Amino acid sequence: MNRDYKLLLKQHIGKPDSPCVQEGDWVERGERIALADGRGADLHASVSGTVIEVNSEDIVIRGKKPEHDLFRQLPPGELRERIRSAGIVGMGGAGFPTGIKLSQEISGGTVIANAAECEPILNHNVTQIEANPDEVYRGLVYAMEAVGAASGIIAIKAKHRQAIAQLEKVIRDERITVFPLRDLYPIGEERALIRDTLGILLPPEARAITANTIIINTETLSRVTQAVELGRPVLSKNITVAGRLRGGPKAQVLMDVPIGTRVGDLIEAAGGIDGDYGEIIMDGPFMGHSVTQDDVVTKTTGGIIVTMPFLQAKSPLGLLVCACSASEARMRELAKKMGAEVAGVEVCKHAVYARGSLKCRNPGVCPGQADRVLRLRKAGAGSLLIGNCSDCSNTVMSLAPKLHIPVHHVTDNAMRAMNLHLIRKLQK
Amino acid sequence: MSITFETAKQHQNDPAVLCCLRTKGTIISASDLEDPSIFPDLEESGLLNIPEHGLTIGQVLGATLERDADSMTPLTPELVSHISENQMDELESEKITTSPNTGEDPTHETQVIRFNIDKLVGQIELPPGLNVNALPFATTASKKAEDKVIRTLTQRAYPVDQVCVGAETSFQDKVLTIREALCEESLKADPLVKNVELDIIRPEDRHIYSNTIMDVIPIATKVEGILGEGVTHVMNGVIVVLTGVDEKGIQVHEFGSCEGYLDEKIRFGRPGSPDSEDIMIRVNVTVQENTGMERRGPFAAHKACDSIIQEIRDVLKDAPADASTDQKVFRDWKKSGKPRVILVKEIMGQGAMHDNVLLPSEPAGVIGGRRNVDLGNVPVVLSPNEVRDGGIHALTCIGPATKEVTRHYFREPLVNLMAEDEEINLAGVVFIGSPQVNDEKSYVSARLGALAEALDVEGAIVTTEGFGNNHIDFAGNIEQIGRRGIKVVGVSFCAYQGQLVVGNKYMDAMVELNKDPEGFENEILADSTICPTDAERALIMLKTKMAGVPIEPANRKWSQEVIDANEQLMS
Repeated sequence: MNRDYKLLLKQHIGKPDSPCVQEGDWVERGERIALADGRGADLHASVSGTVIEVNSEDIVIRGKKPEHDLFRQLPPGELRERIRSAGIVGMGGAGFPTGIKLSQEISGGTVIANAAECEPILNHNVTQIEANPDEVYRGLVYAMEAVGAASGIIAIKAKHRQAIAQLEKVIRDERITVFPLRDLYPIGEERALIRDTLGILLPPEARAITANTIIINTETLSRVTQAVELGRPVLSKNITVAGRLRGGPKAQVLMDVPIGTRVGDLIEAAGGIDGDYGEIIMDGPFMGHSVTQDDVVTKTTGGIIVTMPFLQAKSPLGLLVCACSASEARMRELAKKMGAEVAGVEVCKHAVYARGSLKCRNPGVCPGQADRVLRLRKAGAGSLLIGNCSDCSNTVMSLAPKLHIPVHHVTDNAMRAMNLHLIRKLQK
Repeated sequence: MSITFETAKQHQNDPAVLCCLRTKGTIISASDLEDPSIFPDLEESGLLNIPEHGLTIGQVLGATLERDADSMTPLTPELVSHISENQMDELESEKITTSPNTGEDPTHETQVIRFNIDKLVGQIELPPGLNVNALPFATTASKKAEDKVIRTLTQRAYPVDQVCVGAETSFQDKVLTIREALCEESLKADPLVKNVELDIIRPEDRHIYSNTIMDVIPIATKVEGILGEGVTHVMNGVIVVLTGVDEKGIQVHEFGSCEGYLDEKIRFGRPGSPDSEDIMIRVNVTVQENTGMERRGPFAAHKACDSIIQEIRDVLKDAPADASTDQKVFRDWKKSGKPRVILVKEIMGQGAMHDNVLLPSEPAGVIGGRRNVDLGNVPVVLSPNEVRDGGIHALTCIGPATKEVTRHYFREPLVNLMAEDEEINLAGVVFIGSPQVNDEKSYVSARLGALAEALDVEGAIVTTEGFGNNHIDFAGNIEQIGRRGIKVVGVSFCAYQGQLVVGNKYMDAMVELNKDPEGFENEILADSTICPTDAERALIMLKTKMAGVPIEPANRKWSQEVIDANEQLMS
């Protein structure tokens, strides 16, 4: 059955791509349909079919999901050129063009493969490692070669024993090691990873390169391998689909979903929505944003989560904004969906503005929240909506209940939809 | 909230409480501890109970946590090990060390004096009889600093015994006559003015109902020179009181107006209010309906009132010098060699009746001045004499007890005190508006900081009128000055009703203006404005801060006892 696939011209950090096809054109899967404008990433047809619409924001292709992974190959070229022309972007969610990232030189430095997958519920990175650990490993080797790194680290939560065992089996290069991570949010944040693996705490304004380090998501690495070895551009994305789905709460991993797939179609493929729901979140419960069924999968889409209906708040909310989680705008959106007035907004003491957004001074390490909670109470908050990381949420939970202030967390509806423990006190 | 090492040092003798969950084996550092400055709040909310045997911050730094402990856990000897008793000594930075006596005769010319300097603090006392010329460094040159007068203002006072209404305006033999038709003519001042009435209220007849008091205006006029210098004539024993209402009968104030019986609604004798023996000329203006809370309505009322006063000023100009019973001379000084300071007076600039006319042509007048709202509320410098010669015409409004009326600026105790003080050099009086919008507030505050920096002052006193909205500016203004290393003192009504909603670390020297027993804005005109004793407290506070003497942290709540104790100290 033919479906429409809408490929956004901006799926990366940088300017939108410029289309190089016209309405009515027949395109082969893998054919380049839009060019990077400056520091971006090229866009390729994720299915074979007819271009039915080209506008300033997207290209729509009417075609069929392929049964086999056939595609038009990238032109031959050296390692870095292959990576660049494949249109790869950071698939952990950042969307930074991988071609640019891997054109840096960090001679003697470290490439860290980020398999932390620290958002709860999401599972597609670990699933993919278990399915094909060697592809990720080879991608890391290519990345190290591209940037001249001396060592590689695969950072993954210690609890994923099977994935770790499989990775250790395929590692043939002694410069590469597996680093087990604690099971906390936001352990996969760039500066948290560098702190935990290398023992360097970068200031909020610094980039990973300051520590002579490059951090790259493991799915991105597998796409690097595919580009280098098979000449395969980015055509698809691995996605966790979870929440209130028919057949009970479950987190399904759908591998190689064509870019441009409608969210509604993806949910149907996973079983369909089960009854009432609150909202559909794209990506993880902490950082995700709400979407409609007509939104589409991009190169950075990690998760689609159908949440529980919203509980109506009984009193004005105080918002406690964290750098590693939902923005103030997103929290206000949630407050509105809970039918609550916002009595006050406080930002965690560790959150500072750097490089255009809030960054945490020391991600995942609580600076104390007592004064923030008291200020929100003073502002008239009868309950709190917090976005904090594991450690800070734990602190809030040792304060607010003593003040008889109920606490909501931005992840609550997603966690409840999955019958998971809410983000509150740290689990022993 | 976790603290820095510097904060830990300041609070080394305060109880140590964990800010967050910390696991067994943690070597305790400042970043694990809650800020003691919020302990009272925490205790009050039931979040924290500090046990008697709790350890202090100085004791626990560097110690090891023996088991997992959550946020708000006070550290006790059972919870931590390796408590370092020396920690306190290491933190003790103010220890005085004395170098051993060399045992030689210090007056002997050829010897070398040895100083053992661990820290460049304090002073070295040289023994009497020492030949200072033999020292390898120069002693401070005793340059004789001379105080210089920049300009002089002479105020000649003319007593008024009687005021009446008659056919012509005249002033003779202490009798002021006001032309009857003046009220009708004053309507021409602005089309928004619909009615003007004038009556004379003698001190014994004050139990009389009045609309809200918009201003108290002295009658003064220039005879020689411009504002701030030359000669000014002033009438004593008489004062103009402007009251206002709109055509619908709504008082020209937002809230906290002081309509009522004049004897109950005025705190007589404050710098801004009528004195107990003053005859009041009450000018009651009715403005067009619904314009009382717009900028144009109240200003129209002030213009009409000013046109009446102007005719009185014109006859006062002709009063012969020998009819003056009192003469005051004010001087603007340049006192070289004394620390430069400024007085910053925050004035309201949100529009409507929150406005002020700066530097009118006549003392306390309206015509010829520029309004601070029109000037964008940016800081404007006046010399002390310009202020004392009626350089500010105030359009005050809400909160009559805390607002500074035109007469207040005419007799501002802090300006007088600072201008005449022998130990400081008052470089100028800065008027800065309080704009409506927060962005504008920070804009003008930043300009104030730049101005203070450019004036190269060592100290500043910032005053404000009212409470609430203007406290945002107040905090911003103090911060902008303080962050430049300039010692700054704040003066405001806060008490119970006007507790500061914002603050910063530079607001450590504050002077309370409240005079209400319950700490409220009590709707009595000028009750809680700056009085001479407040001015003295403020100046001593500034001198103390500039001398580097530590100022005790303020109590958590307003307490009259602190003010009483400070006044006791000064007397």
